[in-house]
Amino acid sequence: MTKTGERMQGFKRVSCPAGVSWANLKAELRAIWESNVKVWKIELAYPISFLRECVQPLVMLLPFLLYGLILIGGRYSEALQGLLGTVNPVDVVTYIFTGYMVMGFIGTAIWAMGFSIRREQWFGTLEAIYVTPTSRLSLVLGMALHSTLHQSISVGIEFLVIYAVFGLALKIQGILPALAIFALMMLALYGFGILISALALFLKEGWIVAEGLYSILMILSPVAYPLAVLPNVARQASGVFPTGSALIGMRSFLMEGYPSQGVGTIFLHLLALDAAWILFGILVFYLVDVYIRSRGSLGKY
Amino acid sequence: MKLAISKDLTANSYIIWSELVKNMKFLMAYPVVFVFWTIFPIFWFIPFLLQGQAFVGGLQSPEFAKLAGTPNFVAFVILGGILNSYVLTSLYGVGESMRREAYRGTLDYLLSSPCNKAFILIGKAMSQSISSTLYTITQLAVCILFFGIEITLGVIMPVLLIIILLILGLYGIALMLAALSLRYKQAHDLAHTLENIFYVFSPVRYPVQSLPSWAQMVSAILPLTYALIAVRSLMLLKYNVTAVYYEILVLFIIDVVAIFLGFYLFNWMEERTKKSGTISHY
Repeated sequence: MTKTGERMQGFKRVSCPAGVSWANLKAELRAIWESNVKVWKIELAYPISFLRECVQPLVMLLPFLLYGLILIGGRYSEALQGLLGTVNPVDVVTYIFTGYMVMGFIGTAIWAMGFSIRREQWFGTLEAIYVTPTSRLSLVLGMALHSTLHQSISVGIEFLVIYAVFGLALKIQGILPALAIFALMMLALYGFGILISALALFLKEGWIVAEGLYSILMILSPVAYPLAVLPNVARQASGVFPTGSALIGMRSFLMEGYPSQGVGTIFLHLLALDAAWILFGILVFYLVDVYIRSRGSLGKY
Repeated sequence: MKLAISKDLTANSYIIWSELVKNMKFLMAYPVVFVFWTIFPIFWFIPFLLQGQAFVGGLQSPEFAKLAGTPNFVAFVILGGILNSYVLTSLYGVGESMRREAYRGTLDYLLSSPCNKAFILIGKAMSQSISSTLYTITQLAVCILFFGIEITLGVIMPVLLIIILLILGLYGIALMLAALSLRYKQAHDLAHTLENIFYVFSPVRYPVQSLPSWAQMVSAILPLTYALIAVRSLMLLKYNVTAVYYEILVLFIIDVVAIFLGFYLFNWMEERTKKSGTISHY
């Protein structure tokens, strides 16, 4: 018997689940979970860095709030009331907070998901992951899960600080439907994140694409202003992304006096965007995956 | 004796020149990065302009004028955004430069070369100043064309002087950051934290008077605060240069202190890192 054969004797042969089966689904879900746990372990190994990242969204939100308050010399804007068609002048603190809260999750999709595979490349573990019999998408979704949890912690900190310092006028009864809209928005953003992760594999200076898209999305989303102030072309372009509809829908449930017409249309719009972004993201991901493997450029920087 | 000084001067100038050429080559090798830093800082302040328009219902805010001295929040935010891009490029460009050499595997060679490392850093800072100024000029040109920013010839020289003083102060801080990154490695976190301090405590988007008194004390030690006040006074409020002597003087003092501390800290950290043998550690 050869030395290799002798070595192999001690091991039990394990077959990998494949195709559309319950066993395979369980295996992929496990891979997603393990990928999420791995990122948490890496992140918590650098506690100061973790703390800074948790507080960062609050730091970025403060200038929007202070600037808004100084512009109107108080916290209620009549001009915003005219643009939104609300019953009373709009509380700008609640308006900006609800907008910026969602913006953090766009960062999740673009940076955390988009760069999940690129990060493995930096760590030198990408090739090792690529040869495992797991779907590459499971790795990206694992990162998405981690990032969503991480961002939720940041939003929690933002909420506590803003509530304690400024106070927030939110409707408690609107939280559940707002969360439903939020979940629909996140599905579309996951599709968008999968697309960015494909681009990050393809384009080696992918951070520019990510930062560029984030900046454009920030302008096209009604984070700190309604879409009515955008030029017509930009307003049309905003409809392609889930954040516009989601923010209008969430605010209609969360803010007192916010007009609630068209909530059904918003749900339908978000469902259509979910299907479109997820399918498009997965399609591009697979095409890029096949392309870079055929070119042998997986490990290149 | 004179010959030795002259030789030293030539050698050190050559180090600065080589570092400058090297960084410019890097910049030209990635034209997309150049385009990014030219265009995207404009995208970062556009949301603030739209927010102002939505909240006020126009492009002038009387409430804003009570604190800022001008109701023109558009020009206020644009000037803040453009000068703030110097903070970003200095912190991430110079502050992280030593860390980047470590990533590229060239830090050991740089630190073991028989030259004063301060001149390497001066070269890095000079190349960063040139690229930052190119970005700023382009951004300003875009803002003059599309946002109606006015600039008169008379203020160009004093504004240029203020920008040079700002750059010197920022590079002093970036040197401290570079020194800390030699020892503590996590330069990115330090750069982010400093960026956040500048972003919140300097009058980039809002006047300093709107901050609580403890925050105004933090603001008072940042060079960007004085540079922004002085540049806005000249360009926006149309003050005479004599009105901003105080800001220029304080900027000069901050520069001297920051550069002295920066070089001292860098040399000290370099010695410590060499002795501990942790130059190549990540």
